[in-house]
Amino acid sequence: MNDTYFGSLFRRRIIFIVIVGFVAVIFFQLFSMQILDQPAYSTKADENSVKPIYQNAPRGVLFDRNMQVMVGNKPSFTLRIIPADYDQKLTPFLEAILGVSDGYIGRILKQNEQFSKYIPRRIAKDVNFKVIAWYEENSSKLPGVDYIIETQRDYSFGVMGSHMFGYSKEISSSMLQHRRDEYSMGDEIGSSGIEKTYENLLRGQKGIQYVLVDSHQKTIGKYRNGKEDKTAIKGYDLVLTIDKDAQMVAENAFKDMRGALVAIEPSTGEILAFISAPEFNLQDFASVTSNEIWNMLNANEEKPMFNRATMSIYSPGSTFKMISALAALEEGIIDTNYKVHCRGGFQFGDRFFKCLHVHGSVNVTTAIEKSCNTFFYHLVLKIGLDKWAEYSAKFGFGQKSGIDIPEETAGLLPTRKYYDRVFGINRYPKGILVSLGIGQGELSVTPLQLAQYAALFANYGKSAKPHFLHGYIETETGKYTEVVPKTYDINVKSESFDVVRDAMYKVVNGAGTARNIRLPDIHIAGKTGTSQNPHGNDHAVFIAFAPYENPKIAIAVIVENVGFGSVFAAPIARDVIKAYLQKGNTKQLKQSDYLSELKKTKEEKIAN
Amino acid sequence: MQINYKLQDKFDLSIFIPVIFLIIIGLMAVYSSTVNHPIATGNFQKQLSWAIVSLVAFFVVYSIPQQLFKMLAVPSFIISLVLLVVVLFAGKTVYGSKSWMSIGPFGFQPSEFAKLGMILCLSHWLTYKNRDINNIKDIGIALAIGFIPIMLILLEPDTGTAIVFMIITLSLIYWSGISLFGLFVVLSPGIVIIASLFGTAPFIIALLLILVALILFKKDLFNSTTVFVMNLGASFFFDYIFRFLKPHQQKRIESFLDPAMDPLGSGYNALQAKLAIGSGGFTGKGFLQGNQTQLRFIPEQWTDFIYCVVGEEFGFIGSLFVLILFLIIFIRLLNITNFAKDRFSVLTIVGILSLLFSHFAINIGMNVGITPVIGLPLPFLSYGGSSLLVNMIMIGIVLNIYRNRKMHT
Repeated sequence: MNDTYFGSLFRRRIIFIVIVGFVAVIFFQLFSMQILDQPAYSTKADENSVKPIYQNAPRGVLFDRNMQVMVGNKPSFTLRIIPADYDQKLTPFLEAILGVSDGYIGRILKQNEQFSKYIPRRIAKDVNFKVIAWYEENSSKLPGVDYIIETQRDYSFGVMGSHMFGYSKEISSSMLQHRRDEYSMGDEIGSSGIEKTYENLLRGQKGIQYVLVDSHQKTIGKYRNGKEDKTAIKGYDLVLTIDKDAQMVAENAFKDMRGALVAIEPSTGEILAFISAPEFNLQDFASVTSNEIWNMLNANEEKPMFNRATMSIYSPGSTFKMISALAALEEGIIDTNYKVHCRGGFQFGDRFFKCLHVHGSVNVTTAIEKSCNTFFYHLVLKIGLDKWAEYSAKFGFGQKSGIDIPEETAGLLPTRKYYDRVFGINRYPKGILVSLGIGQGELSVTPLQLAQYAALFANYGKSAKPHFLHGYIETETGKYTEVVPKTYDINVKSESFDVVRDAMYKVVNGAGTARNIRLPDIHIAGKTGTSQNPHGNDHAVFIAFAPYENPKIAIAVIVENVGFGSVFAAPIARDVIKAYLQKGNTKQLKQSDYLSELKKTKEEKIAN
Repeated sequence: MQINYKLQDKFDLSIFIPVIFLIIIGLMAVYSSTVNHPIATGNFQKQLSWAIVSLVAFFVVYSIPQQLFKMLAVPSFIISLVLLVVVLFAGKTVYGSKSWMSIGPFGFQPSEFAKLGMILCLSHWLTYKNRDINNIKDIGIALAIGFIPIMLILLEPDTGTAIVFMIITLSLIYWSGISLFGLFVVLSPGIVIIASLFGTAPFIIALLLILVALILFKKDLFNSTTVFVMNLGASFFFDYIFRFLKPHQQKRIESFLDPAMDPLGSGYNALQAKLAIGSGGFTGKGFLQGNQTQLRFIPEQWTDFIYCVVGEEFGFIGSLFVLILFLIIFIRLLNITNFAKDRFSVLTIVGILSLLFSHFAINIGMNVGITPVIGLPLPFLSYGGSSLLVNMIMIGIVLNIYRNRKMHT
């Protein structure tokens, strides 16, 4: 006997019966489903199939700091093709109606060949209502064509903001591979600027409708009366730190110019205005972006797609002189009595470094006020490369600020390490240091870094990371969540700051280089600069903060290829400062204000 | 004794061939359900590579000395437990269960490997000298070996896998010859715990029923009291643990008792699966022709609902073929217990049989709509690397035991 030794025959039999019994039950169930009830199941499967229809959620609205809409949404028609039912013969006809080039539809169908032929392809977004009316009349002759109403971005609120807002694009198949849990084909995803950084807040949740469809995919009703449906939840509205009025003034000023402007609330790091000019029209990206537009934007020599405010690097020119001044004062290397005699330049080795004028005997205050180069040639040699680089780094140069848009570059802050690498250990020509003293040479900075630098002078070295997001409003609950960045302090004595700030005050309100922008009621403190440009005319640079007594705004302006700072850059800064301060809206925003404002805007929206 | 060089002597084709058939059918079904899918198109290639890896693993396990299984029993169980604890902290959540671990680019489910560790360890323990399965202490230890992984898996929470572990544990204890009273002792706490989840009244009724049963068993007062107190303790202990669970974990346990609580999750899938299978008819709609499959009415069909791809595209013939292949494997597994050299091997086979069968029964039952929807893969067919690998290792163990079986004249 071979059964009883390691287990009883009886128990084995019971297991045998359980197995065979269960398989028999499955067998009869299969038999009844697939043989007896097959016709019923087939009809049901053909006629009564449940199909989920996904609805894209509208993206969150972008408000400015006073709850004014800057970027909204509007409905638009999207025409689609379902390849399974589509008749290729219709293509020339459709292309003519849509006004697209020959072969356009074929191309889209080809691109998405790998996907199921039952998934609809969007062939045209933002379709004219006339086309939809025509479709409605002829839909029976157009198998496999349909349209849906979707929302797209609406930029008709008076601000361009192309580089800070950014745009979203249809998700690419390579990106889809990595984010398959969250996205599906044809979904939009933020691909630059704020749209990209806050994609997770802005995108909302897709809605699902379960509908019953027949074998021809025709909708014949709702599944379980729509009980399982989920409505799309709009993305969270973002309240940005931008002041729409200041932004508009700045955009207007840059209409025919190239350059960048960044304005910051000095104590909080809130960005009040942000321009990179020339701008491009975000509306071109709101629906399908045609190749013509892409090519045009990319071929444009002025590079409108390039974010000059955070990606472009410039020499800061004379605006950088305050670094040497502050470092020397803080380290006790000089005081206000220290004087240099300016004879219109400085002989260093065999090279003569020029100054713009013959300033005579100048101390640190006058040197900043009149932008005397000679003083700073002397001073930077006294400070030395290491101290100079240390103080530059304290102000954030050579590092990314961590601003909440993905496009940012660190610029270049040359240090001893850098020069040792370039020239060999300790062999760099000392003349380089002389150039650095007046903000020329290898040193390169972004306009954003300059604005952060101005903010630190405005607020005695205390600020927070520059950022766009003030907070967001949860769609489901209406709850407002404020995002408060950590503040930091670069730990420099206020006495040192006082001397430099006083000099910056005199630049505008004394006999300084920017006295042309003096205002009777607002005291602006600033510094002009000229950024040498090896490729063409010099760029005008100006940094400022105001009011001098209690700064509420710090600003950096660069205008490309126009020469000296006071003529072109400074007036723009003045206009933006005026626009922001004269409204009297500099109060710190409170959550309760937002909520009441929000309610109002919502009611207005409904009323409209 | 006669030396016979026939292949069938060293290698049991009656298990191996059906398994290979199932893997091939599984690959076809995975291909069909993912070929047009925008995000799952790579799954066929992945499954194909896993199938090859699993075959290699099978032959390795088949060829190693049989004593190794016994030696590895305890270490593999301990490693499994460690992994099950680690996954609770460092695991990745997939479909609501924190059950995945990543090592570099590879992801695997520790619970899959824990099945093997638990079967080997429990078999090993039960075959120790002087084990008396009707002794309360020995039952307690046997249950503990089974229930420690179960508790850990319930925390993930992965109800389906926990159920499989329960079935394996009970099958092994059953095979070891537990008496009717012993079985009652083992099962009664479970009944009381489940009753307590339904409310106070069912809980008291269950306790009363157990009291009546104890009287009918006519055991002495000490034994009866011990069992009763054990029951009471188990239910209070469970209640205590239940309160420590997170709300979604509590809900998970509750929805296991009442699958209708999650209507779209299970109801929708169950309906669509039945439509797919039923509409397949006698011969099916043909490979890649099933519109339920190709239209992707069933989400993640390539995992738990793979059987309805077969049902729709290959019809009654195809589904029956799969059913028969499984039946052959199960009967043959049961049969091989006759030849095994020792009790440890027999119990290992019983454990493997109960594992494969419970997966099969719960998965196919849910596909044809006769059991509630509980997420468990169908052995050899469903998409999933670690599951296929572990299943093939187990087949390797069985054939290894067969290779080293008692010789008959």
